[in-house]
Amino acid sequence: MSLSIAGRSWVTPLGSGVHDVWQQLVAGETAPVEILENEKNGARYLVRRVPSSTPFPSHPRLRRASAISRFAAAAGLTALRQAKQPLPPLDRIALVFAISNGGVIYTRRFYADIVKSGAQSASPMLFPETVFNAPASHLAAILGISGASYTVVGDGAVGILALKLAEDLIASSDLDACLVVAAEEIDPLVCEAYRQWRFLRDPRKPETGRGMIMSEGAGAVLLTRSNGGIEIDQIVPGANFFRRSEVSARLGSVVARLENEIGFCIGSANGTFIDRAERTAVGDELPLYSPKIALGESVGASVFWQLITAAKALETGTVPGSSKPPVNSHALVLACGLNQQTGGLTLRGRDRSAFPGSA
Amino acid sequence: MKSAEQNPRRVAIVAGGIVSPLGFGLTETLQSLQQGRDCVTPVSTFSVEKTRCKTAAQIDDGRLLSNANRRRQERRLHRASYMVMTALAELLEHAPDFEPEIAIVGTTSGGMSFGENFYRTLGNGGACSAALIANYPPQKQIVDAMEKFGINAPAQVIANACASGTNAIGHGSNAIRTGRYQRILAGGYDALSELVFVGFDSLQAATPEKCRPFDSNRSGMVLGEGAALFALEEFESARRRGAEILGEIIGYGISTDNHHLTQPNPDGSGPRRAMEQALAQAELKPNQVGYINAHGTATVLNDTAEGKAIMELFGEVPVSSTKSMMGHSLGAAGAIEAVVSLLALQHQFLPPNINFREAELSLNIVANQPRDAQFDCAVSNSFGFGGTNATIVLRKLAR
Repeated sequence: MSLSIAGRSWVTPLGSGVHDVWQQLVAGETAPVEILENEKNGARYLVRRVPSSTPFPSHPRLRRASAISRFAAAAGLTALRQAKQPLPPLDRIALVFAISNGGVIYTRRFYADIVKSGAQSASPMLFPETVFNAPASHLAAILGISGASYTVVGDGAVGILALKLAEDLIASSDLDACLVVAAEEIDPLVCEAYRQWRFLRDPRKPETGRGMIMSEGAGAVLLTRSNGGIEIDQIVPGANFFRRSEVSARLGSVVARLENEIGFCIGSANGTFIDRAERTAVGDELPLYSPKIALGESVGASVFWQLITAAKALETGTVPGSSKPPVNSHALVLACGLNQQTGGLTLRGRDRSAFPGSA
Repeated sequence: MKSAEQNPRRVAIVAGGIVSPLGFGLTETLQSLQQGRDCVTPVSTFSVEKTRCKTAAQIDDGRLLSNANRRRQERRLHRASYMVMTALAELLEHAPDFEPEIAIVGTTSGGMSFGENFYRTLGNGGACSAALIANYPPQKQIVDAMEKFGINAPAQVIANACASGTNAIGHGSNAIRTGRYQRILAGGYDALSELVFVGFDSLQAATPEKCRPFDSNRSGMVLGEGAALFALEEFESARRRGAEILGEIIGYGISTDNHHLTQPNPDGSGPRRAMEQALAQAELKPNQVGYINAHGTATVLNDTAEGKAIMELFGEVPVSSTKSMMGHSLGAAGAIEAVVSLLALQHQFLPPNINFREAELSLNIVANQPRDAQFDCAVSNSFGFGGTNATIVLRKLAR
């Protein structure tokens, strides 16, 4: 089932305008790197953060909400506003939210109070924000979506599973569109987990390509039934890998199931074992670009940054850091998480003129 | 030729598996339901010295882990993984050839206690085990269980708070109904954790007393834990291959109540919309439903809103909340209660709402003792934080 991308938006460490960030990616720019320090153990992490100047919507639901909900609201609202076609009634739009680490800032604060001062000190204000679907709930309330709302959790490939869920929802005549949003926020606790898992870049060697740099932000796409413009052709959630030696084979299986003529790949390489596995899966000849090089690893949100990058590449005929893809070729978005999940999708630019450049 | 949309497929339940405080497996669960067993006990896995609530319904670790494979890698897994393995083992015993195209499961916290251990170890200046980190994420437990039994399907993990399990089964059934899949593994899991326990305690949503859903003197919920899975299959496919069909999922409804992050709209409109949608998909009138397994957390707010919606929509249809016996297992609750509803249909009885003393609403509560009944269809409700509401309708298979 083909799906049109009727609207799209992202909030990234390089900014929030789709076209502005795209131009920076094409120019080879990378988001600034900051040092985040962990007060618990003094560990330092390289991170890429959303600029403090980024405008966020104002709404009572966001007053006490964590950064993740603000990122999600900004991306979700913009994707709807920039839709290239009239919106269906809100009761015919579903919300699907992809997430990996979730509202970790409030979760850490909530549990820190318990550990430090005992259970009686736990904050009833913080606890609801620790729940995985809190950002989706805020966004649904802001938008007035009162029908289906799903939060999907997983690793860095969770975006593919969320998009698959959206595709399955749109297959029903009960719905006309699905807003699919993903967001993550940075916290030292998550950075420490990845550091101890030996996936982070050494802060003393920021220039090396080894290890990932954590980042934050959001991405959103409004999907409708096939209606021209840039379309998602196929979405394939892949099999899980149980050993790293299996990763390239799992990704290769995903690529094999995406049968179209693929002109280039927007991948999920992040400085870890994924880089080599992904290259092996797509072969040496295919142009391969990962926006994580410039934007960092936003885990749950990353597939949406890849998807929007792929759509812009199809539209403009340019793959950042590579030669032009063939006209009207299919783009492959390949996703590999760090914790067993894989997947991919193909995009095609059926009719470029039907999809004018976005803001 | 009619499309799947014009001529929706039927969805068969061809196997189930469960572990909960009610017991290990369908047989023990049935016995506990028929006895109205109160499974709530003092919390043993973390300190409750400074919480109001001191009890929960827990699964015995000695038994849960007794069948654990002694391989080093498996010993590191979270106990939630063992819960899912236990449920999946039972399911595969009944349907050994079941090969799902996808697993759609619900959870709220995955391996949360590993995250707690990670935080505490970090605070003590210690080095954490990588196994704590790798085995904590919420998708890990279903992937672990599938790996153990040689299944390698993608895992779509829904985290819609306390409605997750019902959402997983409901969405899975719709995905078969629309012809997009033939076989889906669907269900939910959650294990008790300190963070979540203290969270509900901080909200004063948990009770220091007995859990009394729909009672006029109810004072809150008691947490539980567990896992339950269904093997869902397109009905004709299951019938062609001679599979034993335990029942059907015939309706699903989902709504979002934008009233408040943690509180339902007191008018009950969110739950009511979910129930109406589920009935419409099932092509049933309310009086064709013989039993409602309510969300029934025993919090003042939930039971008022849900009770109002049930009263207005269903009138005299018998209702019980089996959380009175086994606590609220959050992301697992909808899946466990779907199994409870299936057992009720198969064995033609109404599971009791124990600890019930005094009615507040004009509901037909199955108070304290199970009842024999003849009925074809049951409704199971789950509602959660974030205003998420989900309802499924199950039907017994006509003999």
